[in-house]
Parts: sequence; C-alpha cells; structure tokens
Amino acid sequence: MAQLPHDPPVAPAAAQYVERVAPEACLRVRGELSSAAGAELYRAVQALLAERPSEVRLDLAAVPRMDSLGGAWLVRVADVLRQAGVPWRIVAASGQVQDFLQLIRPTLETPPPPPPRRPGFFETLGEAGFAALEEARDLVELAVDTIYWGILAPLGGRGLRWGTLIEELTAIGVRAVFIVVMMNLLMGLVIALLAAAQLRQFGAEIFVADLVGIAFARELAPMMTAIIVAARSGSAIAAELATMVVQEEIDALKSMGFNPAQFLVVPKFWAAVLALPALTLLAMFAGTLGGMELGVLVLGISPQAWLRQTLAAVTLGYVLHGLLKSVVFGATIVFVGCHNGLRVRGGAQGVGRATTRAVVMDVVLLIILDMCFALLYEFVG
Amino acid sequence: MTVLIEVEHLVAHYGERCILDDVSFTVHEGEILVILGASGSGKSTLLKHMVGLLRPTAGTVRYHGQDLIHMEEEERAALLRRVGISFQSGGLFNSLTLADNIALPLREHGGFDEATIQALVRMKLSLVGLADAGHLLPEELSGGMKKRAGVARALALDPEILFFDEPSAGLDPITAAGLDQMILSLRRLLGLTLVVITHELTSIYTLADRALMLDQGKVIFLGSLAEVPRSTHPRVRQFFQRQPPARAVAATS
Ligand SMILES: Nc1ncnc2c1ncn2[C@@H]1O[C@H](COP(=O)(O)OP(=O)(O)O)[C@@H](O)[C@H]1O
Ligand SMILES: [Mg+2]
Repeated sequence: MAQLPHDPPVAPAAAQYVERVAPEACLRVRGELSSAAGAELYRAVQALLAERPSEVRLDLAAVPRMDSLGGAWLVRVADVLRQAGVPWRIVAASGQVQDFLQLIRPTLETPPPPPPRRPGFFETLGEAGFAALEEARDLVELAVDTIYWGILAPLGGRGLRWGTLIEELTAIGVRAVFIVVMMNLLMGLVIALLAAAQLRQFGAEIFVADLVGIAFARELAPMMTAIIVAARSGSAIAAELATMVVQEEIDALKSMGFNPAQFLVVPKFWAAVLALPALTLLAMFAGTLGGMELGVLVLGISPQAWLRQTLAAVTLGYVLHGLLKSVVFGATIVFVGCHNGLRVRGGAQGVGRATTRAVVMDVVLLIILDMCFALLYEFVG
Repeated sequence: MTVLIEVEHLVAHYGERCILDDVSFTVHEGEILVILGASGSGKSTLLKHMVGLLRPTAGTVRYHGQDLIHMEEEERAALLRRVGISFQSGGLFNSLTLADNIALPLREHGGFDEATIQALVRMKLSLVGLADAGHLLPEELSGGMKKRAGVARALALDPEILFFDEPSAGLDPITAAGLDQMILSLRRLLGLTLVVITHELTSIYTLADRALMLDQGKVIFLGSLAEVPRSTHPRVRQFFQRQPPARAVAATS
C-alpha cells in the first residue's frame, strides 16, 4: 500500500521498522519481525495507547518472516493491549508469518499465568506447624505399628523374620564395631587430656579417671555411638526405603498383603535395639581405655590404680542409664530413617533429600532425647 | 536437497564391545529421518554420537560440512545450541518447574531480559500444548506431559534440528499418536529437521520421510518406506511384517 500524502507517518524519527498510519490507530511493520523490530513495535504500541484508541491494528503485510523473538515481543504487545482493555487485531499477515501466528495464537489470546502466590508470614508459620504435627503423627503411627508387629504379634505366636534380623544386625551392629571403638578410644584420650590440664592444678590427676568413666557411661558412649550409627545406618535405611518407594516396591509389598512396617521396619527395629546397647557397652570400654592410655603414659598413673578408681566411680546406675538411653536412641534412628524413606517424593532426587533429612532429624532428636534423659535423671532419680 | 548432517564410517565402542560398526548416512534439511532397530541395537548410542555427547572410536559427524568431532570445544557448544534433543527419559531437571526448565537455556545462553524470557516460555509451552502447566514440577507430570515438556525445552533456543529419542515409548497409543501429530505440526510450522528414534510401526508410518534401520551395529536399511518391500534383509522383512496398522484397524472393526 503506497503512502498517501495526507497520511504521514508520525512515529519517532528513530523508527526503522515501525510506522504509524494515522489517523487510525494502525502500526505497520516493515522487514523481518525479530528482536529489534519487535522491541520497536512494543514501544510504539505503548506510545499509541496514550491516545486511548478504540481499536489497534497491526499491519504485518510487509513482514516477510518472523522468528521466536519477534513472537515473544508480540506476546508482550498482546499483554499490554489486553491490560489496557483495547481490542486489537493483526491484518494482512501471510506466508510464514501467518503460519507462525497461528502457532502462537493460543499464547497471544490468553493472559499470562498469575505469578505463584507467596503466602504470608503467619500462613507459612501455621502451615509449617501443621506439617510438623502431621509428621509427628506419622512417626508415632509408624512406631506403634512397629511395636505391634515387632513385639505384640510375635508374643501372639506370629514369627519374626530371623534371617533378615541377622542380616540387619550385621549391617547395623557388627560392621560398626571397628569405627565405634576407634572413635570412642580417641574421644576418651581427648577428654582425659582436657580434664588432666584442669585437675593437675589441684594435684587431683587421679580424678580424671572418675570423670572419663562417668562421662562415657552416662553421656559420651551412648551419644557418640548413636551419632555414628545414625550416619552409617540411619542414612542407609532412609535411602533403601526411599528407593523402594520410588521403584514401587513398597506398593508391590502392600499389594501382596504385607504390612511394610512388619516386613521392613521390624527387623531393623530389633537389630538397632539389640545392636545399640552392645555397641554402647563397647564404647564405654573403649572410652575408658582411651582415658587410661593417657593416664598411664602421660600422668604416670598405674593401670591398676586407674581401673580401681574408675570402678569405684562408675556405678551400675550410670551404666544402665547409658544403656537404656542407647535402646531409645536405636529405636529413634530406625523410626526416623524408615519414616523419611517412606515419605519420599519425586524420584531419584527425592532419595537424596530423604537421606539428608533423616540424618539431620536423627541428630536433632538424639540431642533433645538426651536432654530429656538428663532432666529425668536429675529430678526423678 | 541440502545435506545438514553427514555421518561417515562411524565406529563406536563401550569398552571392548563394539556398538556401532561403520555406520554412514546423511540427514537432509527439512526431512524426518526415523531410526529403527531392536532394543539394544545402538539407536540411543548413535544419537549421542550425532550430538557430540560421546566420542566415536573412528569416523566423523559433520554439520553443514563442519567436523563436529574435531571441533574446538567452544565452537561445538555454539553449534550444539542450534540442536535440540528430547531425551528418552525426558531429561527434565527435577528441581525446576516446567517454566524454569525451559527458561534455563534462555537465561544461560540467550542474553534476553526476563519479560522476553517469560513470553518465550509461554510460547514454547503452548506449542506443545502445556500452556497451563508452567508452574508444575516434573514429578507432577504424566508420562506424555513429560515428553511434551522435554520437547518444549529442546525447542527453547529455536534449534534447526531436533533429535527425538523414543517419543512414544511407554505411552498409550492415543497419547503417542497425539505426540506424532505434534511432531508433524512442529516440522510444518517451524521448518525443523527431525531425527526420530522409535520402534512403533504406527509412528514410523506417520512420520518417516526416510528410515534407517540398525542391527548389530550395522545399517541394514536406509531409504524411504516405499523401498521397504524391496529389501531382502531378513531382519527388515521381519520388522515390517509385524501387524501393520491397516490390518490392525481392519481386525478390530
Ligand atoms: N554407558 C554404557 N556403557 C556400556 N554399555 C552401554 C552403555 N549404554 C548402552 N550400553 C549398551 O549398548 C547397547 C546399545 O545401547 P543403546 O544405544 O541404548 O540401545 P537402544 O537405544 O537401541 O535400545 C546395549 O546393549 C546397551 O546395553
Ligand atoms: Mg534407547
């Protein structure tokens, strides 16, 4: 269409691709509709909207081609016009441009999806609270299920899966012996070193034996052991169950009429509840031995004197307290691991998340439980 | 017809095992080439060599006459930006929403501003019929939606050629047919060249301009579907003599 004399373009002088065909609100694009032309068109439309036109026309007759970027600018133009409430249409597109427009028409005609709503502070807090409550309920449910299938049902004559139990005992207990002993030995040495530096000032080196013995019986052996087992087995349990969920193995079990708690959790529960006190007992010995090593080599106290001092200080009550705690820790590690494994969402990546979550939750819960035990011991006796 | 890709005497091993043994063919601009073959015949391996994800033991792959194998790393990256790949299992990033999956290559390579990226993402999503699904995570999608989403991401940077590994594997026939139609309309409207791996006869008959069949690392058929009956290779005859679609329809009606 030739430019008529009484009909001059009023677009800004810099315009290269877009001209205004007045007096109607019509913009004519010349040349390939790509990034540059699209941006210019967008600006021209915005300028045009200041005049409050009743309808906008985009004339694409002189556009031989367009590409995705041009399309993206058209989408933005459509958004602006829709927001302004101005009806618009494209005229005289042909060939490739027409095909392309047809392809992107749904996008031109629909508003952009609303941005995801960000919940407010209290909403987030409330949701987190509910989620925590729900999770606590799930965890308790799993524990109840396990205790039913692990303790009450066998008493009623329904057998345990002994083969699996022995496998789990090996995995959770036997394979952890070396690292538990090594870590506690070193820990005993370090604690003795710390204590000796202080007690030496009073010439009370022999009391290092008391301190190390009591610390390991009540606190350090159960805690160190539990943390090592959480890292080794808690994570492995979460990963194993999460993988089973992802691969629909749990669904398969359920469909065959098995209770996952009975089939998978119970053997691990018994293994941990048996292995943890045993490992903790070893840890107590190892810790004491570590302390004694320092006492003998650095403080020059005889092994016999050290042992006598330790045995006098560490009462059976302390040891039982430590062992009882380790039983609770063991059960917690298994419940937390299984719970996190079973609630996995979203494929392979979910498995990693479940594992991390299990270990973090383990450590937090272990410390909280340890504190409960300490308070209980102080006030109840 | 212009040649887009030339594969010449390609030999590939996994360890000692020979997977591709002297494979040669060309891909023409604007055509749909279908790669066929039994499971484990090396189709995915061939595709990965064609896009430079694996290095061949011998042979070359050329795009527009440029040697992909011996190219500088940067040059190859620039070339591969014009290549879209839809992986067999989707290859979507699980931690990103669909919209962010598509926006990722645009943000990294495009140098576009955010509003343009959002507009492009909306366009690509509606191309594959997922206009309303941008906010979903891959885990929330069905199998067919994942494949479509994989295509949308492969299209993000406006490739001139799209590789497609088993678009219809694991999908019901209706969804699979929908996907085939989508591939055809993309070709028509965007002028794409397509290399499609499949072993669905229906898809082959719907899509293929030409077909290439692999067996034990060798090309045992290369040509248009019209040439299939002339092939004397027993594997080719066996493959195409499975229930053809026309007879399947006749049998059920
Ligand atoms: N990363 C790999 N390492 C070793 N062998 C592989 C690897 N990927 C595939 N293979 C083997 O190579 C052969 C061809 O695999 P592939 O190309 O995936 O076949 P197709 O896609 O045709 O089913 C198969 O036998 C497969 O087991
Ligand atoms: Mg494959």
